[in-house]
Amino acid sequence: MKIKHISKRVHQNQILSDIDFEVKTGSIVGIVGRNGAGKTTLLRTMVGILNPTKGDVLIKNESIFSNPKLKENIIFVPDSSEALKNYSTKEMLNLYKGIYSRFDEEYFHELMDRFSLPEVKKIGNLSKGMKALFSLVVAFSTRAKYILLDEPTDGLDVIVKKRILKILVEEVAINDVSVIISSHRLDELEFMANDIVIIKDGKVEKHYELDSMKLNYLKAQVVFKEYMPEDLKNHITVINQTGRVYTIVFEKKRDELRSLIETFQPILYEELPISLEDIFIATLGGEDIVS
Amino acid sequence: MFHKALWYQNFKQTRMIVGILLVLFILYLPFFIMLSIGSWQEQVEHFSQFPDSEFTLYEYEVYNIFSVGIFPFLVVIGIIFFAGLLIGVERNTRRMDFTFSLPFSRREIFMAKWLYGILVIFVFHLINFSIAYVILWQSEFNYALSFVNLTEIYFAPIFVFLLFFSFAMFIGTIAGEMITQVALTFIFSIFPVGVFFLLHGFLELHLNTHFLYIPEWVGKVTLFFYLFEITSQPINLFFPISGIILFTVLSLILYERNNIEHNGEFLIFKVLHPIFLIGITICFSLLGGIIVSSLAPWNAEMLRIISYWFGFTVFLVFSYLISRRLLRMNLTIKNK
Repeated sequence: MKIKHISKRVHQNQILSDIDFEVKTGSIVGIVGRNGAGKTTLLRTMVGILNPTKGDVLIKNESIFSNPKLKENIIFVPDSSEALKNYSTKEMLNLYKGIYSRFDEEYFHELMDRFSLPEVKKIGNLSKGMKALFSLVVAFSTRAKYILLDEPTDGLDVIVKKRILKILVEEVAINDVSVIISSHRLDELEFMANDIVIIKDGKVEKHYELDSMKLNYLKAQVVFKEYMPEDLKNHITVINQTGRVYTIVFEKKRDELRSLIETFQPILYEELPISLEDIFIATLGGEDIVS
Repeated sequence: MFHKALWYQNFKQTRMIVGILLVLFILYLPFFIMLSIGSWQEQVEHFSQFPDSEFTLYEYEVYNIFSVGIFPFLVVIGIIFFAGLLIGVERNTRRMDFTFSLPFSRREIFMAKWLYGILVIFVFHLINFSIAYVILWQSEFNYALSFVNLTEIYFAPIFVFLLFFSFAMFIGTIAGEMITQVALTFIFSIFPVGVFFLLHGFLELHLNTHFLYIPEWVGKVTLFFYLFEITSQPINLFFPISGIILFTVLSLILYERNNIEHNGEFLIFKVLHPIFLIGITICFSLLGGIIVSSLAPWNAEMLRIISYWFGFTVFLVFSYLISRRLLRMNLTIKNK
């Protein structure tokens, strides 16, 4: 699946600008960004709900907008099941069977049993966690190759979250599907994503494979005799400060930065393991900046 | 357009209004004809007490059953809400996100809705018309059927219903949500006559110009006129049929260009905002002028003109402010 230079304007605001990346088969892509960065708009455009102002979404090098039949390969699971809340589980099964020619009914029942999901007369009557699980069960049963999930674990308890993350990883491993997740839960993405696309102000700020991404950044704890020199502050991101103890993140490739830190003769300089959250803060602004 | 799933989805979200429409059609045709026959029998009995008088059945009484009257009007209201539930309500909720994410083209999605609606109306009308026709044909008043022709009692009403449905669907492609779709359908169904009256009020006061009749062409482009008109010649079906074709073609074009990020707002196409803002403001200003000037004495011409412009200005200011707010509203349901 190729996202080719997608731009989207809504109400004179540029929501997405020249978004361009590729989703490989069998991968989990995390779309990360702050509130209002354009993550949901990007997912809605990728599945053809929204028309892009510019650009295209290609599957097998063919546009999903000119050939909507290709969307049999994509399924979008929104962050709310509001749209189909009045459907029964059986009606949902029949509806999806009628839409997706590769719908696997046997697999649907297997997943329903595995997650102990009851048959109900109204999806809206299921608990929030069950609704989320049910949406995933339906999505995987369609045998679509690309599963687009918008905040799939938002507001769910720990047990449901674990089950959801488990099924996602299993599906990718066993059935070679690709999962594209927009999420704020960086700890979860860190656990399972291969690729991370960081969106800032509607643009792809960074697109890395997660492992190489971590190799590109360095996190350290530094203590100076006095407060941190202003010259240094301009080059690094302070993600935490307690008195004169600073936790900082900076790009590893910039060797001169390490030398620069050394020139200020820190009392303590200790490298720490870096998490996706640290990179997120470093890339999208310090933790004091709220959007 | 014949995808089972799309038809099922359309049925699921409209089944209540479909039920209501069925009841309305039953009331409008078989039930009403039975009541009418009962009433005619009563009248025959009543007239039999007076040897000099005789019960006469007029053709307008047959028209009142099949072609015009309160029931066709109620059916049209049902049809407008039916179209609202097919398009407008999808915009208020997140159902359109779901529908547009499916592997169907927008043309297929729209045609499935349109055909489903047309079929429901056509079948309900045909069945109920046939039942009503048979009831009347088997009664002692079957001679009444010779007063009328099929164009008057069958083709004209069904094409008017289909015209209203197509028009409401067309409005659904430009309106941002259901209430707007329903309201705009009603407004534009009487719009030409409404504008005529507003301008007439203005001209009458300022230039002393009077129009005794509404020009024929104004009536022809006013949908609600078809509900009160008897069409006897098949050639006169040209207008409703052309309307059905025109609105359906326009709907298809607009539905394909649907920018659903504007769902929940007053209008889908922002290019229409200035037109609506100016249009709503002018119409309400003219209405304000008529209302306030009507409070002044009829013989005080100057006072009436001053009152007119006072009303015009007050309504202009408020309708402008309200219209601006209306065009910025968003009625999307976003609960999780």
